[in-house]
Amino acid sequence: MTVQARLSRWLRRSGTLIGFLIVIVYFTLNIPNTFLTLPNWLNISQQVSMLAVTAFTMTIVMVMGDFDLSVGSMASLSGIVAALFFRDSQPVLVGVIVALAAGLVGGLLNGLLVSYIGITPFVATLGTLTIFSGAAFLLSGGKTIFGRDIPADFSGFARGGIPIGTFNERALLFPNLTIVALIVFVIVWVVLEQTAFGRRLYAIGGNVEAARLGGVRVRFLRLIAFMLTGLGAALAGLLYASRVASANPTQGAGLMLDAIAAVFLGMTMSEEGEPHVVGTLLGVTILGVLDNGLTQMRVDSYVREVLIGAIIIGAVTSSSLSRRGH
Amino acid sequence: MGENGAGKSTLIKILAGVVTPDHVEIRLQDRPVNIHNPQDAFTLGLRFIHQELNVVSQLSVAENIFVSLPYPRRAGFLVDWPRLHADATQVLAQLGIHHIDPRQPIARLSPGDQMLVKIASAFVGADQSNASIYVMDEPTAALTGDETARLFHVISELKAKGCAVLYVTHRMEEVFQICDTVTVMRDGRVVETRPIQGTTPNDLIRLMTGRQLEQTYPARLAPIGQAVVLDVRDLSTRRIGGIRFQLRAGEILGVAGLTGAGCSELLRALIGAERCLTYDVLLDDHLLPPLSPARAWEAGFAYVPEERRAQGLMLSRTIRDNITLPHLQRLSRGGVFLNRAAERGASSAVSQSVQLRATGTEQITRQLSGGNQQKVLFARAMMQTPRVLLLDEPTRGVDVGAKFDIYSLIRNFSARGAAILLASSDLNELLGLCDRILVMRKRRQAALVEAAGLSAHDLLTLCYEAPA
Repeated sequence: MTVQARLSRWLRRSGTLIGFLIVIVYFTLNIPNTFLTLPNWLNISQQVSMLAVTAFTMTIVMVMGDFDLSVGSMASLSGIVAALFFRDSQPVLVGVIVALAAGLVGGLLNGLLVSYIGITPFVATLGTLTIFSGAAFLLSGGKTIFGRDIPADFSGFARGGIPIGTFNERALLFPNLTIVALIVFVIVWVVLEQTAFGRRLYAIGGNVEAARLGGVRVRFLRLIAFMLTGLGAALAGLLYASRVASANPTQGAGLMLDAIAAVFLGMTMSEEGEPHVVGTLLGVTILGVLDNGLTQMRVDSYVREVLIGAIIIGAVTSSSLSRRGH
Repeated sequence: MGENGAGKSTLIKILAGVVTPDHVEIRLQDRPVNIHNPQDAFTLGLRFIHQELNVVSQLSVAENIFVSLPYPRRAGFLVDWPRLHADATQVLAQLGIHHIDPRQPIARLSPGDQMLVKIASAFVGADQSNASIYVMDEPTAALTGDETARLFHVISELKAKGCAVLYVTHRMEEVFQICDTVTVMRDGRVVETRPIQGTTPNDLIRLMTGRQLEQTYPARLAPIGQAVVLDVRDLSTRRIGGIRFQLRAGEILGVAGLTGAGCSELLRALIGAERCLTYDVLLDDHLLPPLSPARAWEAGFAYVPEERRAQGLMLSRTIRDNITLPHLQRLSRGGVFLNRAAERGASSAVSQSVQLRATGTEQITRQLSGGNQQKVLFARAMMQTPRVLLLDEPTRGVDVGAKFDIYSLIRNFSARGAAILLASSDLNELLGLCDRILVMRKRRQAALVEAAGLSAHDLLTLCYEAPA
């Protein structure tokens, strides 16, 4: 391989990473006192934890070339379901388990529609997006559930963490939400990269007909994958509800687009343009850092949205252009 | 005429401007012409009726007929629907078709009717433009007897008008019914052009197959075993039926038939890719439940599909991923966690035994040549030492050297006691490798013959509906 080819290959895989480093340098220079500090990064990690959980589990379906539009409204629904059980004075654990079960059932519905009935993921999950969202409004009566209805055990979880020292004489916690997100990351990484199940999902994404003829139970695996994505969305909804100590039927709005964006950003880093959960982690980090840095620089939130959208398009464009040149 | 793969379709694609030839000289009415794209062909007066039903299924019959022409307009930009439908009715009537309403969606029509519409669309604007040559590639493949008769009537009218017709078919009797001269192709070359008068079906079959055995085939390594491995007592799907055969350990059974005769479908039914209507199959004397591909691989079937890119390989994945896919269960720890070391060891061992030329098992499959991609599929099939090996066109698009490697591989499988089904459109390949040959005709099993002593001529005769 020539030096030039090596360089272009390296650039293709690392372009997004280099861009990210430039962003970090820029923020470090412009926000010198706070940006590159441990508390700020722990804060970022906590802020993106809901998105991270959603995006990691979204990667599972995107590996097969599918996607799930309903994750945001599933996150809303799961928060509401848990809060309703809390209001009923049920133990925290019951509310959490029922909310996660709702995620599995929602994912099962998506999986049945996509793999057994054969509706395209776009239409199927667009439909369930609306259904889950409507259900969240119906169950909550359109109101936010908050205050004494939310037990302190539940909302305390998001404020807690593992003490890791002090910074400027303030106790520093490694946030529980970040820990949950990291655990989900490790699980998804093991599932996708270290199990036969994950390999088969990649095979489906590579060539669905070849996978089927090569002995992969395509329909069943797709069903399971959608259930995992639903479970992840429900977990993200619980994290959010815990963090804001309330449940709101629109709390998951925006989660879906950001999650898909994070997976796309991660895809730009793989040679063959396949989703990878490590890439997704980087995508989530990029989105979180941009949000954090721009907020600290007091950039208007609408400008922030425009910038983030442009960056996603830019990263994916440059990656697909260099692949075409290849 | 010509066998599958003789070059008929390529010739038509060159005329249609779809395929760019290395060298070409086409003369039309004694003037040299150039055809670079389909538009050129249209302007020169060439009209094509392709074998595939390439209709736009969302559109109506009338829209499909006029799809390549400007629609009649009203007020400059609105489509004049009544006129479009009237024109379409008239076009259909020219072919004696009165039972098709041009307003209905074409998807609702039977395949035969769709083909008639497609044929009709080739005659649109024939009066005003200079259409003079009609090229038809197996137009009757989907037509019933009545519809065929109607088409032949139209063809004779075209002849009377002074148009020329180039007619490609697999059906012997049609050539004698409507053609004046016949050109036989073989291996991409014209063998002979002769008048139909004084030619017999036997002559044509001799011309189509009359080559010497250019390819040498490796000899059998071990005798056929006694045990019946696969006993297909009855097998039918919506597409094929009447399948019944037994296969012994190490035996190679060829599957022969013309395009569309159902050879691939037979193999797909056995691997569980098609839903079976009747399924009475024994493997090693045990009755099999109807299979899915996943269960078929587990039961000991292995399959090399016809289209290696579309049906066989995940091109973006490594060679190792492609080889181990059906065997992951066995190669993983506890059937769950990947064991990459075991995968690498097993896949590099089978890669060597199929003589795969690659930089290693971690190479991306897309980067391999066609022959080596095919060997990846053989390596996949070889990994578990299959009981039954299903091979669909295993040497298609493979160069001569790799072909011989693949033949040797098939012999190796056979020596290890696998029962092998080999579907191929290369008759000499079938005769060179197989012990017996199952002939498919019109999607049914038509004959089951010993290969010894059979000539390509005999075999092709069997593939055609018994010629007069």
